[in-house]
Amino acid sequence: MEKKGSESMTEKKSGSHFFDLKIPLGLLLSFYGLILLLYGLFGPDRIYEKSLGLNVNSIWGAVMLIIGALFLGFAHYSRKNSR
Amino acid sequence: MNPIISMNFIDYLILAAYLVITLVVGYALKKYMKTSEDFFLSGRSLPSWITSLAFLSANLGALEVIGMVANSAKYGILTVHFYWIGAIPAMIFLGLFMMPFYYNTKVRSVPEYLKLRYNEATRGVNAFSFAIMTLLMSGISMYAMALIFRMMLGWSLTSSILLSALVVLIYVFFGGLSSSIYNEVIQFFLIWLGLLPAVYVGLKAVGGFSGLAARLPETFLHAWKNMGSAAANPMGVDWMGVVLGLGFVLSFGYWTTDFLVVQRTLASENISAARRTPIMAAFPKMLVPLIVVVPGLLAVAILPEYSLALQGSATPDYNSALILLLAHYLPSGVLGLAITGLLASFMSGMAGNVTAFNTVWTYDIYGTYIKKNMPDKHYLMMGKLATIFGVLFSIGTAYIVQSFPNLMDYMQLIFSFFNAPLFATFLLGMFWKKATPWGGFFGLLSGILMAAGHYLLYKLNVIHYSSEMAANFFQAWWAWLTDFGVTILVSLFTKKKSESELRGLVYSLTPRTRGSEMFWRRPEIWGSIALIVMVILNIIFW
Repeated sequence: MEKKGSESMTEKKSGSHFFDLKIPLGLLLSFYGLILLLYGLFGPDRIYEKSLGLNVNSIWGAVMLIIGALFLGFAHYSRKNSR
Repeated sequence: MNPIISMNFIDYLILAAYLVITLVVGYALKKYMKTSEDFFLSGRSLPSWITSLAFLSANLGALEVIGMVANSAKYGILTVHFYWIGAIPAMIFLGLFMMPFYYNTKVRSVPEYLKLRYNEATRGVNAFSFAIMTLLMSGISMYAMALIFRMMLGWSLTSSILLSALVVLIYVFFGGLSSSIYNEVIQFFLIWLGLLPAVYVGLKAVGGFSGLAARLPETFLHAWKNMGSAAANPMGVDWMGVVLGLGFVLSFGYWTTDFLVVQRTLASENISAARRTPIMAAFPKMLVPLIVVVPGLLAVAILPEYSLALQGSATPDYNSALILLLAHYLPSGVLGLAITGLLASFMSGMAGNVTAFNTVWTYDIYGTYIKKNMPDKHYLMMGKLATIFGVLFSIGTAYIVQSFPNLMDYMQLIFSFFNAPLFATFLLGMFWKKATPWGGFFGLLSGILMAAGHYLLYKLNVIHYSSEMAANFFQAWWAWLTDFGVTILVSLFTKKKSESELRGLVYSLTPRTRGSEMFWRRPEIWGSIALIVMVILNIIFW
């Protein structure tokens, strides 16, 4: 392919590979999962009148913890594979 | 006015954790920014799952989310047209047919393609209008965000504006497009995880989808059935307006030529990933109505102020529908998560504008008209500087809009003047080798003028439509048609570019390469599946 778009500015490939986004994303989601789960289990109960008696914090905390852990797991797996 | 929501420490903890992680991610990307391509195009090195989610998130800003929830509370299921016919065909077209020209020619921006295919003047029109508009838009979204945070939490306008501007400035300054994209992916998860609990609890309260349907008027429940005439449905638009205006011109104009979204595909690691980017994004896109249309319907079914509006006995503020619903169902904890999701999508919307601006500014304006042929380092530095004055300019806009709230509507309108006709210029440029440089220029210019003229005639009551939205859809259509016609006409009488200059830029002069990848990675396969799913969804919600 001819380099058409680079008449005026140099274009060099630095071959950069950024760090894996799955790590900060996994960390953030697991952290959220953990604090929601803890707050749901040990926090006040009466706030769940709003959500029809459903302890959404515990349920959703657990879900997010799993999603976060999955991202961290995939990140670990792809790092091992790239070596 | 008292704030609707009061947050406790756990909500603030969630919000703070998000701010910390974005700053850390932005700062950590700093050391990878060695060339201008690293900064503006992520070194063309990102995998397609990241670019796809960013491509989608760039259009899932909080302004869109709140606006579309409002639309759903007003018009019901008709709102899905913005997510299905008004997005999917265009996204697939971009991936299958247009991406090879954008990616393989190594252009770094949409205006740069116009320069190669047409001429410097055509690029100029697009570059200047785009640069100015993105900054105005980023200021507008900052102001909108400040308004919502004041209503929701009682924060002052200035503190919301300065907080978001500072965070965006820091992470874009250090990480450029990569920061922006990484944040969009984080935002994608936060907005889904933040809104789903409210959707779930709301549906549970009304007795599931069937319970929800039972509480809504018939016109709210069908996407197409009442589109026969503009008068028969709450949106005031007929099927022609939806198909031609929204489905064809507005959607193709936005998804295939708006640099804000196209930039995300250019960051892909190779052509195949670039082509998969918009196509894979089509799948989550089709699901967005679940967190946008359903909350709007729930607001009508549950909150008295919106149910009363159905009988015409109240005119509620539709823009607060989502916030009221969140406040109604979510306890502290998940509530903080939902608010963080909204904040994240506001900030990433702003960051998207700023990164698109600094790229077009540096490559297409500064590098073309002000200082040509400087070393790459110089342009990298200019990109960082552009980030700073881009953010400052947006703050300025936010304050100007604050004293003239109507400006917001006008600017969005002016933006549509530039966007709608552009697709005709691209369509002819990519698929008709006889389109000439000046044909492209005058076509684009007359399309923009047509849009402006149509708007004037509509406002002066010379032309009538049954709703603002219908006027908007048909305006896009006429602007597109004018651009299309004038480009062809002028092309017949002006000098063509030689075939050798057009190689790789026009469909018929570009050798087609058969993808060698496995069939399950081919964009054609996924594009067809996405289209089929879209048709099925439309039939289900007919």
